[in-house]
Amino acid sequence: MKNLFGFIAVSVLSAVSLTTSNTVLADGHLSLEGKKIGVAVVGTQHFWDREAFNGATSTVEKLGGEVVAVDGGRDNQVHADNHDILLNSKVDAVISILGDDSVEPKFEALKAAGIPVFTVDHPSQHAINNTTSDNYYMGTTIGRYMADAIGGEGKVAVFNAFENALRICGIRTGLWKYVLQDYPNIEIIQPELAEEFANAPEDARKQTLDLLAANPKGTIDAIHVGCWDQPAIGVVQALEEAGRDEIIVTALDGGPDTLEIMAEENSPFVANVAQQPNLIGSTAAMNVARHFHGDSLLPQTYVDVVPVNGAEGAKEAYKQLGYGEL
Amino acid sequence: MVKAFPGVLALDGASLEIKSGEIHGLVGENGAGKSTIIKVLAGVYQADSGSIEVFGEPLKPITPATVHRAGIRFIHQELHLVPHFSVTESVFMGQEISSPAGLSKGQMRRRAESVLKDKLGRSISGRKLVRDLTTAERKLIQIARALIDDEVRIVVFDEPTAPLASGEVVALMSAIERLKNSGITIVYISHYLDEITDICERVTVFRQGQSVAVFDTVTKATGSDLVTAMIGREIASVYPDSNRNPHGTGLNVKSLGDGKSFQNVSFEVGRGEIFGIAGLIGSGREELVDALYGVNKIRYGTIEKDSKPIKISSPAIAVANGIVLVPRDRRQDGLVLPMNILENISLSVLKQISSYGFLNRKRERQVAEQQTAKIDIRPSNPKTVTRFLSGGNQQKVVLARWLANDANIFILDEPTVGVDVGARVEIYQLIADLAANGASIIVSSSDPAELIGLCDRVATMTRGVLSGVRITETLTVDRLVALTTGATQEPANVT
Amino acid sequence: MSLETLSRRSSTSLSAAIGAIPLILFVGLLIYFGLNAPNFLTVTNLKLVLVQSLPVMLICIGLSAVVMAGGDDVVSGGIDLSIPATTVLCAGIMASLLSAESTGLFVASIVALLAALLVGGMNALLVTRLSMTPLLTTLAMFVAVVGVNNVVTQRKRINVDHDAINAIREPFFFGIPLGLILVALITLIAFHFLHRTKWGLNLQAAGGSRDAASISGLNVNRLFGQSFTVASVMGFVCSYFVLARGAGSSPGVEDNLMVEMVLATFLGAAFSPRRVVTMWGAALGAVLVVAISVGFKSMGVNVFWTGLIKGSLIVVVVATAALSQRLN
Repeated sequence: MKNLFGFIAVSVLSAVSLTTSNTVLADGHLSLEGKKIGVAVVGTQHFWDREAFNGATSTVEKLGGEVVAVDGGRDNQVHADNHDILLNSKVDAVISILGDDSVEPKFEALKAAGIPVFTVDHPSQHAINNTTSDNYYMGTTIGRYMADAIGGEGKVAVFNAFENALRICGIRTGLWKYVLQDYPNIEIIQPELAEEFANAPEDARKQTLDLLAANPKGTIDAIHVGCWDQPAIGVVQALEEAGRDEIIVTALDGGPDTLEIMAEENSPFVANVAQQPNLIGSTAAMNVARHFHGDSLLPQTYVDVVPVNGAEGAKEAYKQLGYGEL
Repeated sequence: MVKAFPGVLALDGASLEIKSGEIHGLVGENGAGKSTIIKVLAGVYQADSGSIEVFGEPLKPITPATVHRAGIRFIHQELHLVPHFSVTESVFMGQEISSPAGLSKGQMRRRAESVLKDKLGRSISGRKLVRDLTTAERKLIQIARALIDDEVRIVVFDEPTAPLASGEVVALMSAIERLKNSGITIVYISHYLDEITDICERVTVFRQGQSVAVFDTVTKATGSDLVTAMIGREIASVYPDSNRNPHGTGLNVKSLGDGKSFQNVSFEVGRGEIFGIAGLIGSGREELVDALYGVNKIRYGTIEKDSKPIKISSPAIAVANGIVLVPRDRRQDGLVLPMNILENISLSVLKQISSYGFLNRKRERQVAEQQTAKIDIRPSNPKTVTRFLSGGNQQKVVLARWLANDANIFILDEPTVGVDVGARVEIYQLIADLAANGASIIVSSSDPAELIGLCDRVATMTRGVLSGVRITETLTVDRLVALTTGATQEPANVT
Repeated sequence: MSLETLSRRSSTSLSAAIGAIPLILFVGLLIYFGLNAPNFLTVTNLKLVLVQSLPVMLICIGLSAVVMAGGDDVVSGGIDLSIPATTVLCAGIMASLLSAESTGLFVASIVALLAALLVGGMNALLVTRLSMTPLLTTLAMFVAVVGVNNVVTQRKRINVDHDAINAIREPFFFGIPLGLILVALITLIAFHFLHRTKWGLNLQAAGGSRDAASISGLNVNRLFGQSFTVASVMGFVCSYFVLARGAGSSPGVEDNLMVEMVLATFLGAAFSPRRVVTMWGAALGAVLVVAISVGFKSMGVNVFWTGLIKGSLIVVVVATAALSQRLN
């Protein structure tokens, strides 16, 4: 309890959630004692997913609750079906992390059974609350950083498989495009690329190599990944393999793996916006406790993000987020 | 009823006349034209010329459909049944009775059971699965299938007893008699002359695509006449001298059985002896040979080599014990056709010429060249791909493979099938040379003349039993044929 | 009793015992789950399992038809691995067309059905006319069809919110979803055609022994070809259920479907007294496979271990099938 409280307190960046949780925590009533909380996560291979999951489960346990965890193995349909198991396990509440709209019918069923649903990065009309990063800020910031990095003009390829499928991605990529409207000399290469959900780095690497083969030097200035940054790992690999150091890479999420790549000397990966997945998961668990405490929750809880610009910015953010020293 | 047609090769003006209501036998050696005329009759082959009349009416055109409509049914040699189908389903296959509501299972089952009982004299439940039946019962199912519609007038049996044990043959025979008594005409093809003399009223003998003889009254005594009519050819002297000197015992087989195809087989083969095994297809001869080489599983009995018992559970173990097989289908089992002579020979001597898993190319070539020279393979270029060699030369490569190995027991299964006379002589000589060097040779063959000409002694297999071992000097082709076909049942004078 | 009868009896009963191993294994697992997983043996859970197994059940019906017509030798017999790909392609096509405003469900269905029939027809043609191995042909077709679906959907998720499709997952009466009732009906109809008609029996004859069937005057190739068409139509039907359960088409659904389809169909053979693949056995197998999946998850077993376990179960099921066939 104290540790968690301390962690949140020192986290200067989570000013919003800090103030709210501080007041509630201080009176000591917040507890999940005797509650069975289902936690469904779409996968645990990637840093973000895993951290959000860890944040949620460890906080539920710290608050005295019992965790029933299910992992979708990065298959959206399996993830959705897993909610049936939570329903059958008679949990008191469900925290559902990520997932595409195939989970909506399951949320509906949970709601009908009187089990409240709390989501992470998945706004839904059937959920009590969605905890997420400030996606609006992420989208506009990465738009500005990218435009600056290519001098306000040039051609950009974008990996954009999820703009229409996931609301958070719609916000992030939509606002990135919104910013670019003010840069008439920046052109988005059509058709846009679609990355795979599972096995993203390797898939993006192959697609980038094909893209580079089709677009010789001078015809492409930047590659942006619209909603996350696992594919960017493959994009950077492909650029190095093809020796195309004139192209810059931007993406969103900023886990330790991608911050490390950004911090390397002459890294093509120049801008990112880092999230705090552990804090997001933990906040979702806190929200469950608040709900049972009788607090009324707003539909969205936003957790702050850290803009990362250039190699120095990456080192700074790495330290700031508590990943260590680069 | 007359059926007659002259053909070009397989059938050379053969004709066949079958009287209504009789059981008519059809005999002849392999390739005599029996199966060709049946296939023409079935509409599978088209005859170049000739015609068929059924009960006085010409059958035209001859297609499987018109033949079926004429009331002619065929009981093929192979069983062709689905193991997991029930008796009912098997009997009605392709002729199921169904209504808009689905299959009429009960009606079909009652029909199938009554056909089996009334027409074939055997009660079998229609619910039983084919795989739970005995071979004889399966044969009856196959026959019942032909009888299920009442249109049937003629039934042609092609080697119906081939897969059966002797006890089961009797049951089948009585079923066939029963059929005949119900007015159905029967054509009966068999290699087993004792069956022919038992059951048939008239017999037509085929030889080289012609019908050479018709026997109007058949008794036991006509068995030997049938053999004479079937053989009727001279044997060229292509065999090497037989003044060999067998000594000791190379291989001693004691009451060997596989539980299925052969039982209690015992024989000895001396060093330097060529030992023949005769027997019809289905007599257990092939399975016995496979068992000696570890391909077919042995259930009981022992094999001793040089007086030491050995357990042959796989070809690898057979080879390790110096026992090698020259298989009957060398294209399939004996040679790797896309490889050249050199590679094929080195396959079986890899141990000698490889070190630490690497092939010693130079040594490989040496060994292969030695062997090629020794057995006179033409063309003698060892790089020739074996696919392009003639049958005789392919056979010689197979032999050369094993000569390069240190084998001393050779099992040759049909060594000269598809080999021309010239290469035949060379292969026989090669076999004789092997024996002269002290190897024990077992030759399994369906050619009685070959066995008599080549071997010192010949064992005969009938229905899974070794019925006798005879010194070839005492044998003639007629007598050997009579022994394997069961036309003669003289006591076995095991030597 | 002759020696032959004796030795066959013993090998038949041994082969029957081996054929029953997968069933024993699965029933054992179910009992274990019942004792250890919370709420496993409840009506809610039974409903959950049934509902989750609907898509698998449908494609299992398709696969069982192909296996029956082509023989159940896993390598050289009949198999159609392309069915899950057909399903996702049909789902992808319908989702894309429905999200375009002008197209209705009827037109979308027709287009998807034509696509499915094209896949089935290609399979039938390649296998019967060019005598290609079904295993390789349909595996290649699987890859190709998934590729086509990626083109159609741009590998993106497409949401579908259509009343008719939503109705499949919604309760119809007494809380039973319409989908469950539909699949029950389809299963009964399929059972009638595959097991209670002349055509169905002929299909099984063709697979049981090619020679026996052709000697009995059956057109083996035509029957085998028809089974591929049946399979592709079942793939098409399944696509509605995939759309319904996921409220749209998500990429990557085909892999899991494939694994469960193969496992369920060959497991189904263990139900049949004759130890052969049957349509109803395959449908039951589908329920069992999903039950096992749910059981492991209810126990909290890691999803990756579940993958290993499913893979091992496939090996056991196929190996015992091969072994019991060899002994027969």
